[in-house]
Amino acid sequence: MDNNILFEMKGIEKIFAHVHALNNVDFQVRKGEVHALLGENGAGKSTLIKILTGVYPKDGGQIFMEGKEVRLTSTQEAASLGIAVIFQELSLIPTLSVYQNVMLGKELTAFGFIKEKQEKKRISELIEYYGFSLGVNDIVETLSLAQMQMVEILKALALDAKLIIMDEPTASLSSHESELLFKIIHQLREKGVSIIYISHRLEEVFHLSDRITVLRDGKLAGVIEKENIIPSQVIRMMIGKELSEATASRALKESEKETVLEVKNLSIPGSFRNISFKVKKGEVLVLTGLVGSGRTEVLRAIYGADSLEQGEILVEGKSYQPGIKRAVASGFGFIPEDRRTQGFAPLLSVTKNIAITNYDSLSHRGIVHQKKEKDLGKRAVEMVDLRPANPLVAVGNLSGGNQQKVVLGKWLTRDLKIILIDEPTVGIDIGAKDEIYEMIEGLAAQGVAVLLVSSDLAEVLRVAHRILVLREGEIVREFKEGIVTQEEILMAASGFREEGKEEHNEKKK
Amino acid sequence: MRQETLRRLISLALLLLLVIIFTVTTDSFFTGANIITLLRECSVIGILAIGVTMTIITGGNDLSCGHLMGTVCMVFAHLYHYTALPLMAIILACLVTALLGGAINGICVGLLQIPDFVATLSTQFIFTGLTYILAVRNEFGQIGAIQINNKTMIALGEAGPGGIYLVTFVFLGLAILAQIFLKKTKQGTYIYAMGASRKSAEYSGISFIRTKMTAFLFSGFCAFVAAMFTLGRYRSNEVATGQTFALQAISATVIGGAAFTGGRGDMVGTVIGVVFMQVLRNGMRKYGFTTQTQAVVSGLIIVLMLIFDAYYNEFMGKKNKKAAATLREKKVVNGNG
Repeated sequence: MDNNILFEMKGIEKIFAHVHALNNVDFQVRKGEVHALLGENGAGKSTLIKILTGVYPKDGGQIFMEGKEVRLTSTQEAASLGIAVIFQELSLIPTLSVYQNVMLGKELTAFGFIKEKQEKKRISELIEYYGFSLGVNDIVETLSLAQMQMVEILKALALDAKLIIMDEPTASLSSHESELLFKIIHQLREKGVSIIYISHRLEEVFHLSDRITVLRDGKLAGVIEKENIIPSQVIRMMIGKELSEATASRALKESEKETVLEVKNLSIPGSFRNISFKVKKGEVLVLTGLVGSGRTEVLRAIYGADSLEQGEILVEGKSYQPGIKRAVASGFGFIPEDRRTQGFAPLLSVTKNIAITNYDSLSHRGIVHQKKEKDLGKRAVEMVDLRPANPLVAVGNLSGGNQQKVVLGKWLTRDLKIILIDEPTVGIDIGAKDEIYEMIEGLAAQGVAVLLVSSDLAEVLRVAHRILVLREGEIVREFKEGIVTQEEILMAASGFREEGKEEHNEKKK
Repeated sequence: MRQETLRRLISLALLLLLVIIFTVTTDSFFTGANIITLLRECSVIGILAIGVTMTIITGGNDLSCGHLMGTVCMVFAHLYHYTALPLMAIILACLVTALLGGAINGICVGLLQIPDFVATLSTQFIFTGLTYILAVRNEFGQIGAIQINNKTMIALGEAGPGGIYLVTFVFLGLAILAQIFLKKTKQGTYIYAMGASRKSAEYSGISFIRTKMTAFLFSGFCAFVAAMFTLGRYRSNEVATGQTFALQAISATVIGGAAFTGGRGDMVGTVIGVVFMQVLRNGMRKYGFTTQTQAVVSGLIIVLMLIFDAYYNEFMGKKNKKAAATLREKKVVNGNG
């Protein structure tokens, strides 16, 4: 047995109501190693992390820390063993100083008074040891995001963490800040701290990791040592070959119809640059890319939810100034990413929710025509095949799939030219997903131009007529003719070409 | 510059400006006697504001502190009038009443999770009701004011060294103690943490109930101290005592830079806010403004401060975003293949 191993999981099983989330998974982390955990959404990464941080109990298998078998039944227990998580959403107190944050909840005190000097000394020693650029007295809200992450890491180190889990740590960092974080990760590794690194950004994963464990559909797909990392192979491992033909690839065809929406050189500094494309009548154009690539921001800017720095939008050839009210009047529909907070009013009935976008035609001088409203509700329920088919039920009480149908229904009852859809099937079960895809296809068949943002590759290939891939705020690739596969899209989104291996390796040398 | 620092500078500058204007334009403002009176008048509100600040930093509020003070005053009057208890026993009863009142608020907000605003608005009515129930009545059942002739109590309303009233010393002393508590103790840090981000604070093992309870007990204690000095000054008590004080205390706290959203503010700011409001009132009185006009002007100033907060946050948010964006742009220009 390799006594260089810090942490090991063997034959881990986890079963939720119907789903075998983890099936006989082995996972091992060496001392002072950066170990990346890869897998598509739903591959079981977060379930595995939740088991190793004591959030979920395991249903089978064994866990070892430094050679001794351990039971992880609570987060406190995991923490006391030296396992710490750096959260995606930072958990710092913005108005307190660095040392107050690091010591929060575990202050050194005498008669209730904080031993400030002692605390500060300890923290500044840690800062110095790991070479962070941070002052103990700095107030957290004045720090950059990368520095805030340093504070999070300090919190872990102050608890003598041996294994630090970083879940998408660069998601909200600029590339400069990411570089800083990578430096920190190197320093931690040199000091013998092990890191489990989770990121959608394959480029940084390949650059940072000593080893990669790939999960797929709840099973171990493979463990790769640094010297054997070949990007295209890792991606193939993540996606797998056993995919059904229907979602593995798709034949695309560019539409010949007239252009409904055209955007030229759209830019919002920090979000995206020089975005230009056309959406044609009856076409489903999909914008895809990794987290932080700017997909959602483009959509919001076109709808008028965020203001553009520069660029031009043309609707049916005429110049158009984005703005939410104008958008609705010019035949735009918008289905936002977070339907719970942005898509509907949970306490109101289906009818009321659908009527909200239609009060221009339902009311006269501010008075709502009750009968018209009721009829509209009934019509919409039939149109989207809502279950239960009751227009009076509060939308908050429906299932996720049916809620999304209501959100779609809000716009279906209008005369639409263009519909902008953002991640329509997140958190929706498979049956309802298909119905939503059919509704989107139905809209396109009626001649509506559909602009859809999605990060779910199977979904992209299911509905797209044409695909644009965004990366770091720019369009890096367009797929418009012929067969396209998930692999090709993911390679483009991650910044690799087919021959990515050579290109990548050269850069590192 | 941080919001707090800027707000501190603005309220200090405004205070200074007011003092200069009133000094130059009136003869009677910047005199020893007027300053001493001014400080005496704001001290009771100031003592209440210390407790209110504590609750506001936890992300809450205490709308009931003035009403609780009224109840405490009435407990004193009631026992003083109807019983022959020694003074110390009466004062102890007052302290217990005040802490119980604070504890009720703490239970409502901390344990029962009722939002501070609603909880303390409700306890306002409870405290006012109790005040009426305890009120001293004459033989016809009519509520009347009672005189307090106890020497110790009267002494509380007297002036101390330098002609400055005792209540002013207590106000400033309590403010200093509260400031030390907030900045130097564990529980004080928790008050900031809870107000700035309840989720993060609870994740670090900080108890919501305990933090809220601490703040409201503190506020209750402040109501007790304020009550004693109010009795000492007026040497009498009536049912309406303290009914408008909570809002004045809250206004002063907000002027001082504490944010309703929690996690910001301190006692230095609150002292500045309290003095500011009193200088404004005092000066306007010298100009012959009516009480009603004074209220309108005070209200407008608070609204302006809150507008500043809102705009400042928006502006800073945008500025930070821009800074991050510029960094990213630079990186792209430098070529990251």
